[in-house]
Amino acid sequence: MKRSISMALGVVSAVSLLLAGCGDDAGSPAAAPTGPVTLTLGGWTLASTPEFKALADGFHEANPNVTVELKEYDATNYDTQMIADLAAKKAPDLYIQKNLKPFYTYQSGKQLLDVSDVAKQLGDKVGGLSAYQVDGKTWAIPYRQDSWVLFYNRALFDKAGVEYPDGSWTWDDYAAASKRVTTGLKGAGSKAFGDYQHNWQSTVQGFALAQTPGAKLDSGDFGYLKPYYTRALDLQSAGAQQAYGTVTTNKLTYQSQFGKQQAAMMLMGTWYIATLLKQQSTGDAENFAWGMAPAPQLDASTTGTSKKPITFGDPTGLGINPAIDKQKITAAKAFLAYAAGEQGAKKLASIGVTPADTGSVTQDLFALKGMPTDELSKFTFSTHDTKPENPVSKHTAALQNILNDAHSAVLSGSKPVDSAISAAQDRAKNEVLKG
Amino acid sequence: MATIQAGRRRRRRRLRPAWRNTLTGWSFILPNLLGFGVFTLVPVLALFYYAFTDWNIFGVAEWVGVDNFTRMLGDDSFFTALRNTLYYTALHIPLTMGAALGLALLLNRKLRGVAFFRTVAFFPYITSIVAIAQVWNLLFSPQYGPINALLRALGAANPPGWTVSADWSMPAVIIVSTWREMGYYMLIFLAGLQTIPNQLYEAARIDGAGSWQRFRNITLPSLRPTTFFVVVMLTIGSFKVFDLILLLTDGGPGQSTLVLSQYIYQKGFEENQFGYASAVSVVLFAICFAITVVQFAVNKRRAS
Repeated sequence: MKRSISMALGVVSAVSLLLAGCGDDAGSPAAAPTGPVTLTLGGWTLASTPEFKALADGFHEANPNVTVELKEYDATNYDTQMIADLAAKKAPDLYIQKNLKPFYTYQSGKQLLDVSDVAKQLGDKVGGLSAYQVDGKTWAIPYRQDSWVLFYNRALFDKAGVEYPDGSWTWDDYAAASKRVTTGLKGAGSKAFGDYQHNWQSTVQGFALAQTPGAKLDSGDFGYLKPYYTRALDLQSAGAQQAYGTVTTNKLTYQSQFGKQQAAMMLMGTWYIATLLKQQSTGDAENFAWGMAPAPQLDASTTGTSKKPITFGDPTGLGINPAIDKQKITAAKAFLAYAAGEQGAKKLASIGVTPADTGSVTQDLFALKGMPTDELSKFTFSTHDTKPENPVSKHTAALQNILNDAHSAVLSGSKPVDSAISAAQDRAKNEVLKG
Repeated sequence: MATIQAGRRRRRRRLRPAWRNTLTGWSFILPNLLGFGVFTLVPVLALFYYAFTDWNIFGVAEWVGVDNFTRMLGDDSFFTALRNTLYYTALHIPLTMGAALGLALLLNRKLRGVAFFRTVAFFPYITSIVAIAQVWNLLFSPQYGPINALLRALGAANPPGWTVSADWSMPAVIIVSTWREMGYYMLIFLAGLQTIPNQLYEAARIDGAGSWQRFRNITLPSLRPTTFFVVVMLTIGSFKVFDLILLLTDGGPGQSTLVLSQYIYQKGFEENQFGYASAVSVVLFAICFAITVVQFAVNKRRAS
């Protein structure tokens, strides 16, 4: 009897604690900040993603009054966890927009504070800003803008006796070069492939969407994918790259395929620069000379170093949680401006991360140990027209899931390109676009 | 007067221990019941409400009536997922039951090292599913995997693509899930086998029954309660298969291994359509519920 009473008391007190916790953040008074401010920032796998700490420390140095505390999330489930935390009103003051796919959910769900004034202050030096603009207002500030480029292994090209990429390549040139390198390497007794294509849908669809004139994701017309898939299948059957089935079943990682010299070329986002530098210094990757070239182009109208090559990539942005304590908003906006501005950009470049403001850091980045020194690599890093991989729309997440099914169906050889595309179009029409 | 009082006292004495017993009972199950109530029962009840709303997790869920269910009728992906789930269930249940019963019969004898073999058969069940998926994927690898190497050595010119082929991905998943779960159900069958009195077999032997007759007329009927339990558990488990498929094929290639629970996950947690995802969950629940009710009815009729 006594035990049950104490248990009941325990339950009552636990419930009242919960209720008190829920009521806590209702209506905090707006007042000028006095004394030190502590902001919380949500990021993922802090140990291997040094950028959050770099920005937090850098900002604290410049503004000793403000401390930015990091809150760690899981990298793969970042958005699921963040959405749950936001819905439960337990999310940090500032949180990262990891890519553009869930941005619509955050923005339309009123989970982002209007930061148009910060955007105005930053001007047009920051890449990727327009992706976060809805109804004439800006809802997040990009601090990184990665773009997909072609990484190549100079040593393997030398071994195969093939000339390095020169920035003039269309996709057909790329495919031909990959086959030539494969043959050359085989002749030299190497088992490496001409190129490595990771199993992500972006490796094919990202380029197709960005480079094909008139291609639009939410048009529901996916015919623009066909030439890109035909070429990918051709490279696969020619043996110039690992088969899709081998990549998925053996869980190959792109870091080891390029880093351990298993492939002479790889299309990947510029985030790989930091990883490659780090892995070459720690021995996780072999030491070899590498370089970057612009991604192959649809046709000759955008090739060559006098033009701006078209590629794709989603910006990584910082947003403010509207549930933030009103006294902290000024400090939070100052942090956004810092992270996206020149100071933040330099800080990011010092750890090999590609900031949104690439122009002001090219010199700093290429001064890092292990970076290539050729002009084409510098051109590649600083000059590109980067289109978003996930154009912001209500339908983006659902359409990308449909296209992901098409991707695995085509590359595994389960469906011919045409029927996979028409199946995806039918599904898009029936399941997504009519709603 | 005295007798009436004595009677009352006796009744009170009889009541109080009962009341105390109830309380003790409740206090034993309370920790689990609280967890179940807060983390399972409340969300499940909420699910039935959200199935009739349009909700993207933020803000208010908007009541839309049966819209989600009419949408489901025209949703080909839903039917693909349903078909795949039925395909999986139809093969997984008999295969797992057969394998589990076979193992149980094999390991129910007095043979050397029986404990070792029982442990071996049970091992897949307690191994981390992530590790299982990774290793099986390597085994299934179409170009370099040992399974296809063996098939080629045996003379198959075009061995299947397994997890990267639309036709073979579901069989591959079924093979792995049967292998993984047979040990668990073997244990249950073993327990059932050991409750069968030996005299029955002896009597049958005296009457001249062969081993097949003994199996058909003694083992199988005596195992009926066990078999019923196994069938119910396997059915529910098959309908909500999720983790293995997510790790092994992620529903692919294309939609060839997309099952209902993964479709629910996709709609809910990837596309933030929690209303629609809840509606699909309700349908999955209804299917499991209906089949279980039928199974109970059939079992009852056979028992009587």
